[in-house]
Amino acid sequence: MPVIARVHEANARLPLLKWAGALLVVALWAVLPALASRSVTDMLVFTALYSIAGLGVSFLLGQCGIVSLAQSVFYGVGAYSTAYCCVQLGWPSAAGLLVGIGISAVVAVAVGWPILRLSGYFLALATLALAIIGHVLFLEWDWLTGGTLGIGGIPPLSFMDYQLNSPQRFYYLVWPIAAALLWFHANLLRSRNGLAMRAMRDAPAAAAVLGVNIRILKVRMFVLSAVLGSLAGSLFAHYVSFVSVDSFGVDRAINFLLLAVLGGAKTIVGTVLGALFITIVPNALSRFGDIHAVLFAACLIAAVIFLPDGFGGAIARLTARMRAGDSRS
Amino acid sequence: MPALLEVRRISRSFRGLQVLRGVSFSVEGGAIVGLIGPNGAGKSTLFNIVSGFLPPDDGDIIYAGADISRRSVPDRSYAGLVRTFQTPQVFRHLSVRENLMAGCYKQTRSGVLANLLGTPGSREESRRMRRSADAACEEFGLTAVRDRLAGELPAGQQRLVELARAAVGEPRLLCLDEPSSGLNTEEVVQLMNALQRLNAQGITILLVSHDMDLVTIAPVIHVLCFGEIIASGPLRAVQSDTRVREAYLGV
Repeated sequence: MPVIARVHEANARLPLLKWAGALLVVALWAVLPALASRSVTDMLVFTALYSIAGLGVSFLLGQCGIVSLAQSVFYGVGAYSTAYCCVQLGWPSAAGLLVGIGISAVVAVAVGWPILRLSGYFLALATLALAIIGHVLFLEWDWLTGGTLGIGGIPPLSFMDYQLNSPQRFYYLVWPIAAALLWFHANLLRSRNGLAMRAMRDAPAAAAVLGVNIRILKVRMFVLSAVLGSLAGSLFAHYVSFVSVDSFGVDRAINFLLLAVLGGAKTIVGTVLGALFITIVPNALSRFGDIHAVLFAACLIAAVIFLPDGFGGAIARLTARMRAGDSRS
Repeated sequence: MPALLEVRRISRSFRGLQVLRGVSFSVEGGAIVGLIGPNGAGKSTLFNIVSGFLPPDDGDIIYAGADISRRSVPDRSYAGLVRTFQTPQVFRHLSVRENLMAGCYKQTRSGVLANLLGTPGSREESRRMRRSADAACEEFGLTAVRDRLAGELPAGQQRLVELARAAVGEPRLLCLDEPSSGLNTEEVVQLMNALQRLNAQGITILLVSHDMDLVTIAPVIHVLCFGEIIASGPLRAVQSDTRVREAYLGV
């Protein structure tokens, strides 16, 4: 068969393969809670929650060139808003969620406007400082957050008296939300603002010449990232029904950044893979006892060495190689 | 034709070193104007002031009748004043087509929310950007490489990408900083043709260059030396000016 005809045939097969692959993933996703244990489903719920919060960090890092260690603050704001509004004020879940998103957006503008003038390590340090300040405030403002005691008794999410009070039930809510958000971000990436942010990442001066207001775009993306963090925090609070300051420390902020780096911040699907890694691997290694932290660190080092673009980057490279191979054969 | 750009008595110093001393010149609408000068003459500083990357210590930049001396780079860009850089600043991790699509940023309006949701308007906008980018690829001979990452292209093609990206944004005044540096003779000819074609479409061009072959396309040339304009006029007249020969050509 002539080469050109083979290339056309390979290209024609691609959409079919894509659809078949997508269908397989959806089918697997749908039956997984029925097949897996409660603890595995619980881990998958956390994977989705971390994917949502991590998507914000990943998007900032991979598409805008902004290193943010502040996501734990917005995650905490979302969780505490939900906890306070639902438990102390008796408001419905949606109100708590919206309050969290509103506060996070305001904080992101107020903090982002001055600090997003910085770049590189200085910006990373400024966001780290924000994470530390946030953690201290969550601890000290015990009238609002319950301090070290936290806030318990957060009601599970419910729809028409159907309570999402088990990992299996929550799984079917949180994953579609995560998938929708990933899809929205894929849309954004292909749009004028997506191009503008990638242009800003590669050559800020040239992007400004094209009419992109760098500072405003950075602040907008920081707000978007904060909203994702807050949303994940609110869902987390409803899921675990108890929030305490331990969940919103600097280690959580580092985990979100780690997730973005491991997943490959330049690809959107990488966020989910990064979230899977940071939820599943530590759990799987915990059976080795005290040495599990060392083993996890070794896994991280191996991942960074062998997959410098993260899992998403590796998949993208592999796909490109397969396509090139298909075209040649 | 009235002046599109007027540079009025621009002065600028860095840590006590006076780089520009009351520089004044104008660029008529629809013209190609060259700005030449030896290294250290202040060309890049002047260019950065005109495009908004540096504020002047003194003097005004009048563009299309308005004082834009304190306006931001994006504001100037929206007004139609666009520049390129001495070292090509392509978006390295974007394809050539995406670079040119980004060049259409000013012609589009959709917000972040519409982009996230992928509204029909936002999708149509992306399609329009893609069509404009493809047309520009065709015009600048970049169609064969439009799916390649811009950062992987040789320097000559990166210059062309930068020029095409600036042109696709429909500027009124295109300021080009050493556009021929790093290009071979054939590429310089290609660049000259492209610039003349853009000028014929009504785009005014201000050209900073060391390349005497390239500046032949400019009917009017200003010579900058030690922060002052020492001669202005057609290339031939400028070349025969005694001060220019002493200061710039070294003869």
